[in-house]
Amino acid sequence: MTRLQLILARLALLALVLGAWEVLPRAGILNPALLPPLGDVLHTLAGILMRPAFHEAVLVSGAEFLVAYSIAVPLGLAIGVLTVENDYIGEIFRPILFYVFSVPKSIFLPMFILVFGIGFQQKVAYATFSTIFVVIMSAAAAVESVKAEHLLVARSYGATRAQILTRVYVPSMMPVLLEALRISMIFNFTGVMIAEMYASRTGIGQMIENWGENFQMPQLFSGVIFLATVAIVLNEIIRALEAKCSTWRT
Amino acid sequence: MIFVAVLALWEILPRAGLIAELFLPPLSKTLTVLFQDRMQYAMAMLVTLYEVGFAMLIACGGGILIGAVVGGITLLRKLLLPVFSSLYAVPIVILYPIFTAWFGIGSESKILFAGVYGFFPVMLSTAAGIRTIDEQFLLAARSMGATVPQQIVRVIIPAAIPTVLTGLRLGGALTIIGVVVSEMLTSAAGIGYLVTSYRTVLDSPHVFAAVLMILVFSILFDALARFVERRTIVWQTAGRRERAGSRPDARVAPAVAAA
Amino acid sequence: MQHVAHVNLAHEDANPVALEIAGLSHVYDGREGQVPALDDISLSVGAGRFTVIVGPSGCGKTSLLMMMAGLRRQTTGTILCAGRPMPDPDPQRVGVVFQEASLYPWLTALDNIEFPLALRHAPREERCRRADEMLNLVGLQGFGSRYPHELSGGMKQRVSIARGLVQDPPVLLMDEPFAALDEQTRMTMGHELLRIWSMTNKTVVFITHSLTEAVYLADEVLVMSARPGRIIDRIAITLPRPRTYEMMATDVFGRLRDRIWQQIRSPA
Repeated sequence: MTRLQLILARLALLALVLGAWEVLPRAGILNPALLPPLGDVLHTLAGILMRPAFHEAVLVSGAEFLVAYSIAVPLGLAIGVLTVENDYIGEIFRPILFYVFSVPKSIFLPMFILVFGIGFQQKVAYATFSTIFVVIMSAAAAVESVKAEHLLVARSYGATRAQILTRVYVPSMMPVLLEALRISMIFNFTGVMIAEMYASRTGIGQMIENWGENFQMPQLFSGVIFLATVAIVLNEIIRALEAKCSTWRT
Repeated sequence: MIFVAVLALWEILPRAGLIAELFLPPLSKTLTVLFQDRMQYAMAMLVTLYEVGFAMLIACGGGILIGAVVGGITLLRKLLLPVFSSLYAVPIVILYPIFTAWFGIGSESKILFAGVYGFFPVMLSTAAGIRTIDEQFLLAARSMGATVPQQIVRVIIPAAIPTVLTGLRLGGALTIIGVVVSEMLTSAAGIGYLVTSYRTVLDSPHVFAAVLMILVFSILFDALARFVERRTIVWQTAGRRERAGSRPDARVAPAVAAA
Repeated sequence: MQHVAHVNLAHEDANPVALEIAGLSHVYDGREGQVPALDDISLSVGAGRFTVIVGPSGCGKTSLLMMMAGLRRQTTGTILCAGRPMPDPDPQRVGVVFQEASLYPWLTALDNIEFPLALRHAPREERCRRADEMLNLVGLQGFGSRYPHELSGGMKQRVSIARGLVQDPPVLLMDEPFAALDEQTRMTMGHELLRIWSMTNKTVVFITHSLTEAVYLADEVLVMSARPGRIIDRIAITLPRPRTYEMMATDVFGRLRDRIWQQIRSPA
């Protein structure tokens, strides 16, 4: 199958799913109270997108997302690089990293709430906490992925530390780092959403939770579609960037 | 070593007044409270375990099977895999209110949610893992006169075991996370529910007792899974197609938990 | 001046023919249409002879071997092994040894050697006996219960050879079996292979890139051209047997190797 055929096939699949979403509830095969037809959802979505309350929520969530990201990424990169370069710090962090991913980080939410309350800082703090471990792990992996031979070649040609950093480390690490950025963005998004859904007065996560509790299904689905679209678009943008920078990778 | 230090800090810092007891009750208090109310905690753990068990069936059972099929059949793989990995970017938690609206706040919604939560990463990981089975194995088997059923049973299945084990470990970890998150959000039972309900009355020792139980549970599960994986090392080393420039970490990263 | 003559196929009449290929051509579907891979190949290999095929990369020698093994169907032409065609793999007639040993990592060396017999549901006693015999034949006695990840590259190939021979097929096909080994191990393995061959009297068809290896091992070297692969020369290696490392330094050896190289570089 050629690329074009594949894309067409996927579009066909999408059309099928969306079509089913429209038809099945309207025909009564699926309960329209539980699953409103796609048309209704989109209509509601259009309405919601106009509402200032919604805009405010988007701004709040967006701000939390950005702030958390801009803390977690540089900090995580620094720590990650240090774990590889500095044995002592590596000793401290490696065991933690080992277990972090199998433990539900959301169990620490109550702690954050106890310390920060239910405001902006708490959500940023939690999202940062959520994200930083992936960044650390990826940064460490990125540093380790720089081939020793490449470094040796640079040193044998008399490159200074700064030159080795910029001409060998950075280009070598780029693809891994970009992928790390993408993955940590996903983690960050999830962290913000969980915090908002759990205990918050503002933000999209809280709106969705609210709509769910009140069985306002069309609104709930609109929110979900909105968030899903944003997530996928961001993801694809970074993926495209990754692809452009990774042409040399096997 | 670090472990002991952490435990020590947990005890000392609150007692010394360096951290308010509201934020971090001393370890001893937490353990006392846990022991006092052990029946309650035990019941809650049972509910959670029950939910995790069923959710694992969905996530691991479904994820591994479908991952094997999608990963193994080239057409399906090319068609669907990119779609699924794009979907991975969406935080699945936002779907939870839909599950509670549809299935109520009982165990069903959590089992289904956690099942779906674990499904995608397990499926992606299995689909990727299936492809690392060396195709030379099948060629060698054919040259020795193996029939198709023999190829499946004697070659493909044993060769796929490491991938399946990874899928089980991943799926287990993710379903635990999914169940705990959903219990914390909207629930009437389970250990996550205890965390939330005690938090709202600012009863820190009880909150931390529940947190501790969850920590212990997930670490134990992870340790068990890794133990099993280590025992099957004969499968794991040779026989995987060495990809030039393969980065094991980065391949695992997309399949870890975001919550 | 030493003159190495072309081998006359009439020589072969003295021995029964183990493998006979007539008019074999193969075409496959590439991305831009049909690609001719092999072009009118005819050859016959006498029983008990050691034949080596050399040729540039991509000339189709591996495909040819796959067809001899029954793992691939040719477009036109016939392959007869011990007088009968090979539509499907038949491990009792033809044993195959691949470049990557392809041993199953979850089986011990002995289990790997037994594998073809297990597929045939041969009785346990026969399986154990044959596997042990083969293990000893390839010089790995005592290593039967090791797993492949505990074996060196050379040892893995020995197990692979043992596996190919376990059903006592008259023909053994080998596709660059030593290519992944280092030079020293290669030389040792080549020597070992000749020992095993002289003890078992199999007909061997061996593919390699190494001209030295070709001259060292073979009774006859078939040189293939680049794609579409054709046999452009047959060179009899008249060096005495058993072959020794010292022969590699002789004039005769050098000239034979040069001849092959000339043919590959600028095919007639």
